[in-house]
Amino acid sequence: MLELIFAVLLIAAFATLFIKSGRIAAIISLIASAMPLIAVVDWANDFGIKAFSFGVENSMDFPIAGITMHLSITSFAWFFAVMVFSLLPPIFLFSYSFFEKNNGFFPFMLFLITAVFGILLASDFLTFFFFWELMAASSFILVCISRDKKAIMSYLAFSVLSAVLILVGIALLYSQSGTLLFSDIVLNADKVTVSAIILMVAGFAVKSALMPLHAWAPFVYSKADEPFVAFLSGGLSKVGYYGMFFVLFALPGAKILHQYFNSGVATYLLAVIGAISAFIGTLLAFMEDDLRKLLAYSSIAQLGYIAVGFGIGSSLAMAGALFQAFNHAFFKSVLFLVAGAVAYRTGKWKISELGGVGYKMPFTFMAALFAIFALAAIPITSGFAAKWLLYEAAVSNKYIFITPIMLIAGVGAFLYSFRILYGVFLGENRHDDIKEAPLPMIAGMFLLVLPLIIFLIFPGYMLDMMHSALVDAGIGTISHTNYVIRTGMASYNTLAVVIGMMVVMIPAFLIYVLRKQKKVDFKDNFLAGEPYEFYGYISMHAANNFYKPIEDVIMPYLRKGAISFYTALYNAMGRVSDASRKIYTGLSQDYTIYIIIFFFIIVGWLIW
Amino acid sequence: MVVEKIAVIALYTTIAMFVGILFMGVGRKIVARVHNRVGPPVYQGFIDIAKLLTKKTNISHGWIYDLALLFSMTGIMLTILFLPIGGVKLLSMEGDAFLVLYLLAIPALGFALGAGASGNPNAAIGVMRALVMMLSYELPFVITLIALMIYYDTSSIAQIVEMQHAKWAIMIPPFVLAAAVADMALQGMLMEAPFDISTAPHEIASGPMAEFGGKHLGALMIYKAGTIVAYTTLFVDLFLGGGVVMHDGSVLAYLANFAVWFILIFLVFTLSLLINTSFPRFRIEQAFKFYWKYEALLAFISLIWVYLMVIS
Repeated sequence: MLELIFAVLLIAAFATLFIKSGRIAAIISLIASAMPLIAVVDWANDFGIKAFSFGVENSMDFPIAGITMHLSITSFAWFFAVMVFSLLPPIFLFSYSFFEKNNGFFPFMLFLITAVFGILLASDFLTFFFFWELMAASSFILVCISRDKKAIMSYLAFSVLSAVLILVGIALLYSQSGTLLFSDIVLNADKVTVSAIILMVAGFAVKSALMPLHAWAPFVYSKADEPFVAFLSGGLSKVGYYGMFFVLFALPGAKILHQYFNSGVATYLLAVIGAISAFIGTLLAFMEDDLRKLLAYSSIAQLGYIAVGFGIGSSLAMAGALFQAFNHAFFKSVLFLVAGAVAYRTGKWKISELGGVGYKMPFTFMAALFAIFALAAIPITSGFAAKWLLYEAAVSNKYIFITPIMLIAGVGAFLYSFRILYGVFLGENRHDDIKEAPLPMIAGMFLLVLPLIIFLIFPGYMLDMMHSALVDAGIGTISHTNYVIRTGMASYNTLAVVIGMMVVMIPAFLIYVLRKQKKVDFKDNFLAGEPYEFYGYISMHAANNFYKPIEDVIMPYLRKGAISFYTALYNAMGRVSDASRKIYTGLSQDYTIYIIIFFFIIVGWLIW
Repeated sequence: MVVEKIAVIALYTTIAMFVGILFMGVGRKIVARVHNRVGPPVYQGFIDIAKLLTKKTNISHGWIYDLALLFSMTGIMLTILFLPIGGVKLLSMEGDAFLVLYLLAIPALGFALGAGASGNPNAAIGVMRALVMMLSYELPFVITLIALMIYYDTSSIAQIVEMQHAKWAIMIPPFVLAAAVADMALQGMLMEAPFDISTAPHEIASGPMAEFGGKHLGALMIYKAGTIVAYTTLFVDLFLGGGVVMHDGSVLAYLANFAVWFILIFLVFTLSLLINTSFPRFRIEQAFKFYWKYEALLAFISLIWVYLMVIS
């Protein structure tokens, strides 16, 4: 049946290549994308969680062209598969309304799913790299649909960088351990050197947009189709972290690094990079006016927390990191889909041009609100439990640099959250003529919000899900019941929070019982009934340049960032290439001189 | 046992809210005395809230505007449940200081949503200022919080209070510095001068409150009363031993601890008011620089001091 799943995905991908209608392609993709999800649900039985049984075998050897591809599911791959593949059906449901015509999104998305399924199942590095390249190629074509040069070039450059780093890492691993099979490499782990580990971690860090290697993300996230970006940010970044998890903990790279440096300095550095990613990503996010770029920077920030968890590496931190990965997959997909829904109705991306959308699109607003609560880790969604675990891990390890930076990045998240809520959904009502998003879009968004609420009340379920992954990777697990998490420092009872909230809401509600009121539009309110004359003047909108005072203080320190570094590198390479081109003058005298100089150099070298 | 606990929690929360409303009146009286005015009576807060809540409200700006303030009131009461008051733990064993930090964001975000929904640009500017202030004062505050957590090796506020039975945190040298920093952060949290930037009445028409009236304003005043109690109690719990002076479980101990807690939060609040009356208002970028340059540096010195004490 595993072959069947691959076959269905590929056949659907080729079939949708020839279908013009976006609607039919969406239905085909929806059904095809449910196939890997069925397999994932079935495999839950293997990892101590009771689920339905469909009888999908969990390993397969697939001989092709003289090479055998080894595929089998492991506990940590399963955890990542759960989060990646449950995103897909809602995203395709959303795409049903989003795409009138099939512009190439559906076939390449299906190739992408095939590739991700392969990556998560691969049990040797050749298979892994084959599917990794399939993923890079198909996602590159999905970026190409945007026809934005900056996005395409940056994605291509960084994909190639990532592939090269990983390939060199794999080659080193092969030369050191003499095998490509994961199980054999783990047995020969003492022969693996530090360079291979660092190269591979850096390669995966590109996909997960960790800070110095994040430069592609703002361009790609802000230009490609929204449903794809939702998967790119929610799903594909986690595939990068899957690779990192595998190299650091299953191989186990963290131990090798620890032995080589004789201290935890290398993994501590990863944690610091993650924390700085979270911090600077947050600062850049709340100064951004483009909704999609804001979400891109927020993505970089939120993914930074996962790297902090991986860097700390204790059971508490790993539980937090995987929890955060899961939450991020869902809330960031919702937010990108919300951005897509808003753009579908209004055609605008700039926060300063939007406003008042929430009054006309209340369900979209509700979905965005819950996603933002999760993003800002407000304790009425599951977003808080993940961050709480990470903070606890950092404090209990006495990391005096990482902890405050992470906490202040958490506060910064409120700032850009409010910018989205106010600038897009509340405030001045500039859109009297729009309707609520179509039903499939709303259904897709709310399906993705659902896990955030379930795991709020029962974070224990999530910890059960990652239990075998953490135990198999030799990290260990933390003590918890269904709704209480205990650490060495404190405990967190989600049920107390939820019930306490409901109970205190009763007196608050009683104080506040309202009679029938007249609804007053803001135009009758602060404009005192005057006609809305400055309509269209963006500079009059309060959401324009919203955080100007703080921007003026912070921006001078952030101007020399990574993106300006890469731009400078790009320009310098252009100049060097341009200078080297000048030796082709086209004059035969010059070429004669080159030959003579070359001759003398050879002679001189021979004499010396 | 459970019923008893629920009764204690309900009693303490109600008292805390009343104390907050009382403090609003007392605060106005103190400010008036500093200004050499007579000032309103100390129970003015009760009069105001009773008046506002019994008013008929005819105007609304949509469901977000209405529900956001409900959210605010709920959030602030929920936060009080998770803070030990006079050594009585309430629900504080079920969460920790990080939870309290994030619970305090619920009322703030609710208030911000309501202000945003009113559509008034002044409200939006006020919320922007409040959020930037939040970013500013949280940095020194979380650093001092982490210093406490590392020193007492726990992140639970109830545990921190218990550990201070022998010696209040403020009697330990590095925490004198930390408490001074946290007190200035408290000034920002309570939105008192020089950090009353977000509600600056003369600049942006009271900022976020611009469009609220009647019941909405009454709810907002209850929220404000709650924040006074929540933030001062947080400070007292962290640095002044939560006001616990007697450790046996007798009724007298409950009363004595409660009285000491009341006196301590009153002193903290009065100190904040005296600073408020003596200083003019900062601009927002000045406040930001003040917190992130000087306060954060001092806080970090105390953190490193504590860290060296703990690892040696």
